Amino acid sequence: MTYSSSLAMNRHRFAGRNQNAVSFRVTERTLGPISNTIILIVLACLLGLLYLTQVTKTNAYGYQINGLQEQQTSLKSEHDDLEVASARLQSLNRTQDSAVAKGLVSVAPSDTVQN
Amino acid sequence: MALPNTNTSGVTAVKRLRLWYALLIGIVAIFCIRLFYLQVIRYDYYRTAALSDQLKQYEIPPSRGVIKAYDGSSVLPIVLNQKLYTVYADPTFIKNPEQVAEKLVPIIGGKLDDRISQLKTKKTRYVILAKKVSPAQRDKILALQYPGIGTETHNYRTYPQGSLAAQVLGFVNDDGKGKYGIEQALNKELSGTPGQLKAITDARGIPLASSKNNIEIAPQNGKDVVLTIDVAMQHQAESILADGLKNAHSSAGSVIIMDPRTGAIKAMADAPTFNPAEYYKVEDGSVFQNGAVSNPIETGSIMKTLTTVAAIDQGVVNKDTTYSDPGFWLVDGFRIQNVEEEGGAGTRSVNDIINLSLNTGATWELMQMGGGKLDAKGRQAWYDYLTKHFLLGKATGIEQGYEADGYIPSPEDNGAGINLTYANMAFGQALTATPLQMGAAISAVVNGGTYFQPHLVDSTDNADGTTTKTKSVVKASNIIKPGTLPQFLSIMEYSVQHHNFNPNFDTGKYQVGGKTGTAQIAKQGGGYRDDAYNGTYLGYVGGNDIQYVIVVFVKEPHVGTYAGIGAAQPIFSKLAHMLIDNSYVVPKH
Repeated sequence: MTYSSSLAMNRHRFAGRNQNAVSFRVTERTLGPISNTIILIVLACLLGLLYLTQVTKTNAYGYQINGLQEQQTSLKSEHDDLEVASARLQSLNRTQDSAVAKGLVSVAPSDTVQN
Repeated sequence: MALPNTNTSGVTAVKRLRLWYALLIGIVAIFCIRLFYLQVIRYDYYRTAALSDQLKQYEIPPSRGVIKAYDGSSVLPIVLNQKLYTVYADPTFIKNPEQVAEKLVPIIGGKLDDRISQLKTKKTRYVILAKKVSPAQRDKILALQYPGIGTETHNYRTYPQGSLAAQVLGFVNDDGKGKYGIEQALNKELSGTPGQLKAITDARGIPLASSKNNIEIAPQNGKDVVLTIDVAMQHQAESILADGLKNAHSSAGSVIIMDPRTGAIKAMADAPTFNPAEYYKVEDGSVFQNGAVSNPIETGSIMKTLTTVAAIDQGVVNKDTTYSDPGFWLVDGFRIQNVEEEGGAGTRSVNDIINLSLNTGATWELMQMGGGKLDAKGRQAWYDYLTKHFLLGKATGIEQGYEADGYIPSPEDNGAGINLTYANMAFGQALTATPLQMGAAISAVVNGGTYFQPHLVDSTDNADGTTTKTKSVVKASNIIKPGTLPQFLSIMEYSVQHHNFNPNFDTGKYQVGGKTGTAQIAKQGGGYRDDAYNGTYLGYVGGNDIQYVIVVFVKEPHVGTYAGIGAAQPIFSKLAHMLIDNSYVVPKH
């Protein structure tokens, strides 16, 4: 059988009654197993990538928080040092030894004002 | 022409695909099985291994509470926290010790040879080169970038006022525990509660925020404490005490200035003193003790003030009572006599008992408590006043470490001369009390009869920013009858007016009363020393009401006269004048 006669025979199979009617047969186009697997793997990779992105993003915030905490500690330490320096500057010994204090004259009050 | 047979090649392709597919499934299966093995079957093992490397647990130390005190009406920090650094070396990393030492010495001090030998040591890999290094020094050291040289952070207490109120404050040791003074008594409140950080960390130890099991509990910082102490008054009290001890050739002493209306301590000085920032340099540990609360003494004649109060309050004597003093009493075969030159036989008044410090007079007052003789009734009455009215024999509860109870002998007849003991107790021997107990007792008398617990804490600052004011605790009420106080004040002021004070007090504006004490010092094994005495003074100053009670103790002065008059009274005088001159006392109006 030649290739043309073969085609003719195949065409002939559909020749007959209602041969011009619209076929109601639904053509189901399903994916093969390999495609399914590949799609699943790709989806899993995408999900993994999404997860990693989120985790990295969260951890980046963690580093940012850590940096801010270090800054806070450093500022607090600086504040404490300044507080110590301020308290030292107000110490009685320092005041007593100051040039201004040495120039003062000690007097006893002659009276007390009553409110 | 025949068409090529495509069926064979299609089958082969399908077969090949199926083969690859099977291979892929096989590989995936192998991975799955392996992962199942690692992640499910060996879950515990690998989790433990991972956590041991990644999970870090830290204790977050709380900040110790700051201690503040009054400077007039404002508040000033007197104990703060400061972050300082310890410089250490690991000699195995130091290639040129001489060069490193040369660079370090100008920054941290010390001798060059000592530093070189420290850097060359093979005994240890951790050599401490300097402690309490400032941030500026640390920056200079780190800028050198020498391998093997590092710094560690430590929190230290720092004292801007130097050694001011050292014994009252105490110090914090290397373990972070408060020792002596306020630091010990309020260690729990000042320390706070450590926080906790449990987290999965990266290689640098930084917590990873994505871990859901991270635990971070913030530390609860210690409470800040505001003392009742006035720093200026404290400073002057310390100065006056130091000068007084120097003049009296004494090695130690204490003074207390307290407000009898509340029990608040305004100044409490002790000598010799120390620098709490360098407590580790102190060789004699007794210096740490606050003698005013930890050193019970036989008070000497200042006790006669309380004997007189007890006798007046019981109605057995009054300020105008006179009696015939024989010059001595024989009690249990022992002679009780006076040390004052004026203390011979004669008619004496209650004023004389205080003014001339008559031992025989105080014994006579005790006799009056027993109905005219030394007996169990009188002993019991005196004991009750000492322990239930004046609350002697037990610690006051002030916020200080190592407060002493003192000792009041029981009035029960023990067959060992209890009458002699009680006669001695009437003038301040054979019992012990701390200067603070005496100050608190006389405060309760001069305020009209309310015993306030002496206290040093004015308020505490809570973590939420609120302040809790310390309420004065009343430990006993109505310890004297209403008519007792005016008589007592009159007797005490009579004593001051008949003693030499330079300058004298302006009695038109101020009420000043007081009593000296020259106390014998007990020997170990019994008896008293005859080569040394302690000097004491118990007095007060005020205007319309009594505003300050002053207690002075001078240890074994060498003044060529009675210790009370020669050593303690001048200190009282200066303290009272200081309070008046600095307008701490509101005069009569």
